[in-house]
Amino acid sequence: MIFKIALKNFLRQGMRAFLNVLVTALTMVAVVFNLSLYNGFLDQAISNMVSTDVAGGHYRTPEFDLLSPTEWEDQTFKPSDILSSLPPSDKAEVLLLQGQIFPNRRLFPVQLRGMEMNQTLLDLPFSKLEEWDGPIDDVIPIIIGKQMAAKSHLKMGDYIVMRWRDRFGAVDALDAHVVDVVPMINVRLDEGVVWMRLDHLRKITHRENEASWVAVKNFQGAIAHMDFQAPEILLKDILDMIKNDRRFATIIWIILIFLAGISVFNTQYLNIFKRQREIGTLMAFGMPPARIVRLFTVEGSLAAISAVGVALFLGTIIFTWFQSVGLDISHLSESNIPIRENIFLRINPVEVVLTAVIIVAIMIIVAWAPVRRISKLDATQALRGRAIT
Amino acid sequence: MMKNFLRGCLVSAFLLTLIGFLLLPQPGQTEDAKVHRLLVAVDNNMWATTKHIDGRLIIDNGRRVRELAMESWMEGVTRSYSVYKSPARERGTKMLKLDRKLWMYTPQTDRKILIAGHMLRQSMMGSDLSYEDMMEDEKLSESYTGTIDGEEELDGVKVLVITLKARRKSKTYQILKIWADPVRTVVLKEEAYAKSGKLLKTIEFKEFRLIGKRLFPKRMIFRDMLKNNTKTTYMFDEIEFGIKIPKKYFSLRVLKR
Repeated sequence: MIFKIALKNFLRQGMRAFLNVLVTALTMVAVVFNLSLYNGFLDQAISNMVSTDVAGGHYRTPEFDLLSPTEWEDQTFKPSDILSSLPPSDKAEVLLLQGQIFPNRRLFPVQLRGMEMNQTLLDLPFSKLEEWDGPIDDVIPIIIGKQMAAKSHLKMGDYIVMRWRDRFGAVDALDAHVVDVVPMINVRLDEGVVWMRLDHLRKITHRENEASWVAVKNFQGAIAHMDFQAPEILLKDILDMIKNDRRFATIIWIILIFLAGISVFNTQYLNIFKRQREIGTLMAFGMPPARIVRLFTVEGSLAAISAVGVALFLGTIIFTWFQSVGLDISHLSESNIPIRENIFLRINPVEVVLTAVIIVAIMIIVAWAPVRRISKLDATQALRGRAIT
Repeated sequence: MMKNFLRGCLVSAFLLTLIGFLLLPQPGQTEDAKVHRLLVAVDNNMWATTKHIDGRLIIDNGRRVRELAMESWMEGVTRSYSVYKSPARERGTKMLKLDRKLWMYTPQTDRKILIAGHMLRQSMMGSDLSYEDMMEDEKLSESYTGTIDGEEELDGVKVLVITLKARRKSKTYQILKIWADPVRTVVLKEEAYAKSGKLLKTIEFKEFRLIGKRLFPKRMIFRDMLKNNTKTTYMFDEIEFGIKIPKKYFSLRVLKR
């Protein structure tokens, strides 16, 4: 009976009820959208990094640090039999050294990355390097990413001078031929990176069979004098970044929920102020104050419950549209975020249910809080409309 | 007895002839020795146990010219100390080289920075010289062996063109080509090549003058041939050889305001 009365009262509120429902529904949609966007962002970044660089982890020397380029040359190693005997689908040897190119005769420091050509573990578009069958006595083939091409003003077919140091420290230089400019989904493998065939890089630097790391599909057990960097370690910075972003996003979610809560709270407060006579009448007819509180609370909570339905409707439309276009994050290409393509939502059902439950619970609390005063009202004063001033 | 004496004389004569024949200079050896002698003479001109230079680095990057005034004290190939005197931005910057380590001190930060290992290969103060180029002051005669390519005339002087190959694989420039004046025993021009044969740097030695018993250039012009239109001129305004350098100059304690 209380529910019926509450529903009638709720519907009678008209525009006020509609606005409450809409605000609460939009809050739910916004929070779920935000959560799903972060999920999609994280999935995409991890997927890109795993497929192009991280794989199932790296074997490196314990002292190797990607952020210390001046030490790279001292941290190469000859992969052990365990690693070198793995099939091409299970490992990729990479050699990383410092170098310089001179586009338009201007110095441009680069990373020289040598990649095995027969590996299939990592998904990198290096077919043009693989096709090269000429000698490398005068010209050496290289591939660069689109971002690198834009920054260095290079294009496919260009010739540039490339300089490096060999294993002994002697300086050497050759003309490099840009055989392809490729789109890199992982921007970390694009900016400032010159890709070469591993055999070429090893030959010109006299580093036979040496590598800076070996990416593997699966952990191969502990290897003497080697460190295994699991994907969680290699992806730590991106995971930390998303975690940090989520922390900041929580503040926005709290503000949104607070605003929706204020809206319901305000409506409830206005209700008991405007409907004092109604409350007094119900008391006069013998309805216990606790029941009246319950009636008003249900009435207020109906906004949250209806919002779930409206959010479901609005969310379906918005999310369906969004999944068809995605979010263009090309403006982030200058940053170090390993994503190039549009990102899409990954909706986690648990997060959706949890969000809805939390918001509904908060709305019920804010619907109940202002109407608690009813239990203390004097019926005669309420009938006169003077119980709350 | 006479017979034995004669036999002994014959054997001795034969051995002496053989030794003499072996000691005769072969065609290749003559050239090597000639080049080596020239390189030693060049080193005697250019290289000293201790040096004091009051000079300037004029860095022209093709768009802008900067001039840095500096004073340096050098001891052999292992120790050197430099203080920058101008411009205002660089005044008080100090560099101390001890063996294969180089410390840099900047008064703005009041800190010592160690430039070691591969960082030595970076460009020094935006010039055409790397820290390593600046530090590598080894004797040519000890680091390279050479062959004469021919004779040329350079700036009106008859010079020998000599290709030098590094004795050690770790030498930065494995191939050098020098234009050396055999009369004055000085180098007028030097080209540094990559192992592949690509020309990387050139150095021109200009305005030789007599300092004591040495002929030393007044300026050296460095050009990075991979860069466009850049050059760095090292002006030796004052230079002294064989001086006594205070010990404190080669101590880390000197790196302070």
